[in-house]
Amino acid sequence: MSDTDPTSFRQGLLAALPIALGYFPIAFAFGVAATGQGLTGLEAFGLSAFIFAGASQFLALALITGGAPILVAAFTLVAMNIRHVMYGPALYKRAGPGAARNQAHLWAFALTDEVFGAALGQLARGRKFSEPFMLGLGLGAYLAWLGGTAAGAFAGGGALAGHPALQAGLAFMLPALFLALLLSILARSHLPVIAIAAAVCVGLTLLWSGTAGILGGMIAGAVAGVLGPRAQDAQ
Amino acid sequence: MRSDLVILVLIVGGFTYAFRFLPTRVDLSALKPDSLLSRFLASTGPAAIATLFVAAVLPELRGPMTGQGPLVAGILAVVVTFRVTKSVVGATLAGSLAYGLLFAVL
Repeated sequence: MSDTDPTSFRQGLLAALPIALGYFPIAFAFGVAATGQGLTGLEAFGLSAFIFAGASQFLALALITGGAPILVAAFTLVAMNIRHVMYGPALYKRAGPGAARNQAHLWAFALTDEVFGAALGQLARGRKFSEPFMLGLGLGAYLAWLGGTAAGAFAGGGALAGHPALQAGLAFMLPALFLALLLSILARSHLPVIAIAAAVCVGLTLLWSGTAGILGGMIAGAVAGVLGPRAQDAQ
Repeated sequence: MRSDLVILVLIVGGFTYAFRFLPTRVDLSALKPDSLLSRFLASTGPAAIATLFVAAVLPELRGPMTGQGPLVAGILAVVVTFRVTKSVVGATLAGSLAYGLLFAVL
């Protein structure tokens, strides 16, 4: 397989670049926050190495330092990550019949929100699904996350305290990446799905919790995609 | 590493991996393109990314209107840069830069 083969591992690594650029500073901020709240560098790195889910890692810090019982904290975080069950089937649906899945036990470890979004964007732009590509995409993202965490833990708590503008710009990296990924897969037919997902996310977050907002928004948007064509048929 | 933290990491890491990997074993070959599940899965991507974006900016939107200049600048920079370059990298960096710059100015 050549390096320019669009389905190669190397191309997957290259496609991980935007994610890595977004992940490194956020993971850096996580490493800084974790050590600032009393975790050792090894503990911060362990969270990133074994969980590899940014939002839940930050929430883990809040729960741990807030004194939540460990099982309550664990299952709160598990509930937060349940949205990931939709990503594999959604990717294979887009990939079409016959897509390989022999190495899914490897690349699925790194099937984060951003890796899923990037993979979907690549498929939407005509790239053929391949497991080596997915491995490269996931590994690039994972290494950036680990590297950022290690650098942040090494820098220590309060490393960004004297640079509020830098901290603010880095904090906006993740929303910017989500928006760019959304634009990369956007089609007119998605607009009702997006509008309903956003509205339900806002409503549930305000009325209940952020986790409920995320899960509810995703499910409501996907259900809107199911109901949309029927509504058109009825007109 | 503290034992309570090890337990937390094992539970959350184990479940998160299971959520990501096990559904990839689902065989979708018999799924008709216009079936309910097929349409549901096709809508999952845009719904998920839109939700995550909204969830990421919502805390800031709940703050005072006067403090939202950096957010508006960041979003505009992402949209304009993506329309011009079609680059996810460029749009992400431009958004972050615009946000940080306006934050510094204000």
